[in-house]
Amino acid sequence: MFKLLTASVLLLLPTTLFAAVGPEDFSVSYSFKLIPALIVLGTFVLYLLIGLLSRATSPSDYWVAGRGIGPIGNGAAIASDWMSAASFMGVAGLLYLRGWFGLGYILGWTGGYVLLLCLFAAPLRRFGKFTIAEFLGDRYDSHGVRLVTATVTIIIAVTYAVAQFKGMGLVCGWVFGIDYRHSVLFAAGITLVYLLFSGMTGVTRNQQLQYVILITAFAVPLWFLIRNAGGSGLFPPLEYGAILSGLMEGKVSPSAGGQLFGEELAGLRQLFLPWGSGGNIYSFLALVFTLMVGTAGLPHILVRFYTVQNESVARSSVVWGLFFIGLLYWASPVYAVIGRYWNPLGGQSVADMIILSAPEQAQLGPIFLGYLAAGALAAGISTVAALLMAAASAVAHDWYSTVLHPGCSEKEQLVIGRVFTVVVCVFVVVIALNPPALIAQIVAMAFAVAGATIFPALVLAIWDSGSNRYGALAGMIWGLSMTLVAMVGWMARIPLFAEGGLLSATSSALVITPLALLINMAVSRLTSDKVSESCLDHSDSILRRLHRLPERVSDEKIG
Amino acid sequence: MSERVTINLFRPEGERLRQEVAVIRIVLVLWALIAFGLPLFIWLCGLGDPQGFGASWLTRTRIFGGFPLHYWLVAQGGTIAFVLLCKLYTELLARALRKIAPPWHGEVGQGGDDV
Repeated sequence: MFKLLTASVLLLLPTTLFAAVGPEDFSVSYSFKLIPALIVLGTFVLYLLIGLLSRATSPSDYWVAGRGIGPIGNGAAIASDWMSAASFMGVAGLLYLRGWFGLGYILGWTGGYVLLLCLFAAPLRRFGKFTIAEFLGDRYDSHGVRLVTATVTIIIAVTYAVAQFKGMGLVCGWVFGIDYRHSVLFAAGITLVYLLFSGMTGVTRNQQLQYVILITAFAVPLWFLIRNAGGSGLFPPLEYGAILSGLMEGKVSPSAGGQLFGEELAGLRQLFLPWGSGGNIYSFLALVFTLMVGTAGLPHILVRFYTVQNESVARSSVVWGLFFIGLLYWASPVYAVIGRYWNPLGGQSVADMIILSAPEQAQLGPIFLGYLAAGALAAGISTVAALLMAAASAVAHDWYSTVLHPGCSEKEQLVIGRVFTVVVCVFVVVIALNPPALIAQIVAMAFAVAGATIFPALVLAIWDSGSNRYGALAGMIWGLSMTLVAMVGWMARIPLFAEGGLLSATSSALVITPLALLINMAVSRLTSDKVSESCLDHSDSILRRLHRLPERVSDEKIG
Repeated sequence: MSERVTINLFRPEGERLRQEVAVIRIVLVLWALIAFGLPLFIWLCGLGDPQGFGASWLTRTRIFGGFPLHYWLVAQGGTIAFVLLCKLYTELLARALRKIAPPWHGEVGQGGDDV
């Protein structure tokens, strides 16, 4: 273990050498803050202790744990998996920067659950295995599909984790008064220490505690913030409307001048009008669609349905999960609006830090600020832990032990998984040092990948018996390559792929996903005579299980 | 090939699947109305804004002590609607499943052995 740690630290060091400073100026108020620092370090030591104490139990507990969980518990687990630094910091940041247009993130990230529930929740429960790669690989009876799905899982994990590290880096920099680059390395360091020391069971135990910390850290300050901004503090999500309509008339905090006039007033009013921050109806719908199909295709959310007691629990846990997520998204705009109230003219440079800078300007006090920072870090750490573990299991389980080296020992799998965790972490850090976009935008790109590859393959795997392995491969490769091109295009600032473009990296699925569905269906129909009888039997038996069709008595006679 | 399993979301076969797909259709239509109909409605109402920012009666109306209507509808109305929609799906499906007797009772086992 210590060897691994030393190795990972050595690996991390050179990345500082070729890191460049990004376009954002991450300055909020960078000085060492004693009380927040103590709170952040205190919670981290707590996670480590819990991780170390729960090490003795067997790894299978990780999966079994979910089986006894009822709908409310599983719903809370879905919400806590969901609550990443993107939801904690990123959505508030986008709502601050883009005003009304940013609400597309809320609409998309909640509406996706309806799709997920209708199309996938119950069939996936009936299938009852552990990873999405395993499901698609089995349904299409193809190692190719399995490998592509595992690759997509890793790409999604990397993209998603970049956003988390950016958030954690910003928070660590703010707490400890160090610059962004060093604080990303610091955050990566503590995450690796945490992951490698805690192991799977520790991570699961900690997730419950982390959820409590992050949800209280997110909710409690709102009551104080809304009072400082002139509200009564009964239920903040229903009270910020007055501040919002005040903002549209130029009313801001006394410290920011009390009343805006002229250009500044027009700018602020415009921000909260539908298309005042530069978007149009196409880019809004494309964003909403992308986030929805992405939500329904996100591997680490889908996995939740394999492990509940029965179908009806699987269904009601979506209702509860969405309820908890909805509560969270009722709070995000409060931070954004109060942020505008205290800092009416801030731009991109303060957006992702708005949940810390708004309370700071509202004089919230160091204990709250420390707790808020600890909450943001908890959100980041728990999500990164889940993502890196999903990526590691994709490599160890779906690549290595199933395809490349069947029959290898569990120990070998574990080592491969650990080594890969470190490698992915290093790779993620290198990208996070020079983040290509705002937190929520980076996450949206991961959703575009999930929505264009996994979503279409999954819809047809469950709902179209004619879809076969060739169609699935063609559709997934199309979706994956197009979304990757869009991501590269965004970073190269090509207008077609940039914000507001026809194939913007954050909203490309509106065009790519329907085409991926068509390609899958067309190629499947064209190649239907190439699929072997035994492969068809295999798919049939899975489809029967997914839809609870009666088993056929004459099964053995065929093939 | 008539012995093969045929599953098609648009042409469901068998009573159970037909019921399930009927519920899915209702919920998905409502889903699309909220997810895409609501933004389109706000867009249509705001077409008359000479500045092109989409200002309309929706952006001038205030509800609940100050929320501009266009903001509230998307920020909170959408969330409420989606949660209710999920609830509607579970209710409708439970009712549909009660109406027809399942081909055999009980849950499928934890599974994975027969594939």
